[in-house]
Amino acid sequence: MDYLTVVLLPQLLHGLVFGAALGLLALGLTVIFGLLGVMNFAHGELYMLGAYAGIVVIGVTQSFWIALIAAPLLVAGLAVITEVTTLRPLYRREPLYGLILTFGLALVFREGARQIWSGDMRRILPPFTGSTPLLGMTYPNYRLFLLAISTLLLVAIWLFFTRTRAGIVVRAAVQDAEMLDGLGVNVSRVFTLTFAGSAALAALAGLLLAPVFTVYPQMGVEMILLAFIVVILGGMGSLGGSVIAAFVIGIAQSLLTLWMNPQRVAIAIFGLMIVVLVVRPRGFFGREGVFE
Amino acid sequence: MRTKVLIAVALTLVAVGAVVGLAPAQSGKVVKIGDLGSKVGVFEGYGKYQTMGMTLAVEELNAKGGVLGHKIEIISEDDETKPAPSVRKAEKLILQDDVKLLVGAVSSGATMAVMDVTKKHKTIHWNSVSCAEFMRTTKFHKHYFSNQPDSRMQANGLAKYIVEKMGKKVYIFYTDYAMGQSDGRQFKTALEKLDGEVVGVAGAPLDTKDFSPWFSAINEAKPDVLFLAFAGTDSLRLMTQLHSFGMTKKYKLAGIDCFLLQQDLPAIAEPMEGFVQLNHFSAFNPDKAMQAFNDKFKKRWGHDANIAAGAYDAVLFWAAAVEKAKTFDSDKVAAAHEGMCLDNTHIGRQCIRKEDHQVIMDMHLYRVEKGKNIPIAKISGSDSIGAPMVGKDPVEGFTWELKKKK
Repeated sequence: MDYLTVVLLPQLLHGLVFGAALGLLALGLTVIFGLLGVMNFAHGELYMLGAYAGIVVIGVTQSFWIALIAAPLLVAGLAVITEVTTLRPLYRREPLYGLILTFGLALVFREGARQIWSGDMRRILPPFTGSTPLLGMTYPNYRLFLLAISTLLLVAIWLFFTRTRAGIVVRAAVQDAEMLDGLGVNVSRVFTLTFAGSAALAALAGLLLAPVFTVYPQMGVEMILLAFIVVILGGMGSLGGSVIAAFVIGIAQSLLTLWMNPQRVAIAIFGLMIVVLVVRPRGFFGREGVFE
Repeated sequence: MRTKVLIAVALTLVAVGAVVGLAPAQSGKVVKIGDLGSKVGVFEGYGKYQTMGMTLAVEELNAKGGVLGHKIEIISEDDETKPAPSVRKAEKLILQDDVKLLVGAVSSGATMAVMDVTKKHKTIHWNSVSCAEFMRTTKFHKHYFSNQPDSRMQANGLAKYIVEKMGKKVYIFYTDYAMGQSDGRQFKTALEKLDGEVVGVAGAPLDTKDFSPWFSAINEAKPDVLFLAFAGTDSLRLMTQLHSFGMTKKYKLAGIDCFLLQQDLPAIAEPMEGFVQLNHFSAFNPDKAMQAFNDKFKKRWGHDANIAAGAYDAVLFWAAAVEKAKTFDSDKVAAAHEGMCLDNTHIGRQCIRKEDHQVIMDMHLYRVEKGKNIPIAKISGSDSIGAPMVGKDPVEGFTWELKKKK
């Protein structure tokens, strides 16, 4: 019983917190894949830029809360410029072009950040401190906030895609962009705004996680690998699949660390991804035909 | 007649050409030395300070005419904190740049890999940051030297203080690669010899982002002391997260030599409050030699030095050995190093032990108070260095298994 309350339940909570944050990052990635048919290799760098934009805004305003709104908007602005000037001309070409382009963009953003802010690790202090006695341990309030806000955002995004006209338009664009174009919808604008929205989501995740993980130019590369696995397992382009896969991976990683060397846990997760790609390439909840 | 004139002109031109050609060569004789350190990533702080330390030493030596009439030039390469790129860069420094001294790498795994390269090419190799226990034992070669206290020296310095002053039940949490494993092993061995009890051990991969999955196991073990063998940005993240979970107040904490760079301390002063850390150099130490070096370093670079400044001494030792040997021949320079003492190192007088080429260094312990390292104990180098074990397995018979006390 002690083991359950002192070890297993806190571990489960750690997994939930991490899974929720990972879900935010993976969601943007899967939307972009669904829309453009391209794995956005620069998504991790947008996550990183969100944290750095947060540092800049906090430096000016001294407020984490203002940064939480302003930083995603700044990154979304950068995403609009990027999409219009670099991605848009490549939409009619093979997906490989987009893949190579986003890979290049990732390098530019990462090294750009290093030039501007140096490679030194930086911290963003959580907007509030303190902890709550929970499950036999002291749990930081900020992590509980992280779990709450990430879950709230995931629900809000789900409502956006299922209950609003704008969300339905984006889903329609994911399904058949040409048909949507024929119906008189400005598809280019949908693409640009969706790319910007997904970048804002990544930036938000970067800033929310910054007080826990710290900020440095490489931070996006490390998280994006896990986000890729989440998207592949959940099903390319599947929003619900990505969210479920993010929680599964977050919890699995946390629980397995109790009994296995963490490097073996990472190998197991990558192994699972390979098996899924071989046996069911569309992932658990992916659309039929995608990658098959 | 015309032929004689032509020959005379030709000879004159050759003579002038020879003089013109030789003159710059004579005044511009250069010897290159290699700086192999992390430029980005988890250990980049150490790499940067290694470069600064070497640069300071080279500037001082060049101002006095260089070494054996040669100006010293540093060639810097990024070890990428990994063994494979480190080996590639070391080969490049030795074969392409013809460096006569190689300082580096930063991570223990990378340095051990580079030791194979310097052994193969008989290149003088100084390590000023890495601390795995194999370097002066099974991996040792005659061209290798170190002025970084290795895991065994650090464990001897720390274990006694922890058992006597902090508590006997210790949980060892280490970064799961060469350096952390080495520190964890040597500390466990030293602690158990002193009748301390290791109540738990766990390793987290290098560059772990979220340490919280290990916290439940630590709490379950109920230690008095949490011994941390991490370095670089890992340490910063770990301390921040331990603090947010209330564990910096719940347990007494202690850590290894390279746990946290001096410069990072003010940024996490609150989580680090009360932390006991071993540091062979600290800008907060009132020791005259340390203060004198720190003033010099600060004047040149605008901020305090840290433990990676051992690279400064590495260059000085090498230059002194070259002058003593009167040649750059690596066999003769290596022999000249053995038993050598220098008075002007960054922590005062230091000597290289002949048997395993380890610099004998005092271990200083500090407690963090309000973002500053307050000196609390000093263990002499002769007490902490341990017996030479060249060629012997330093982990023979070791097991991570916990020995429960009755």
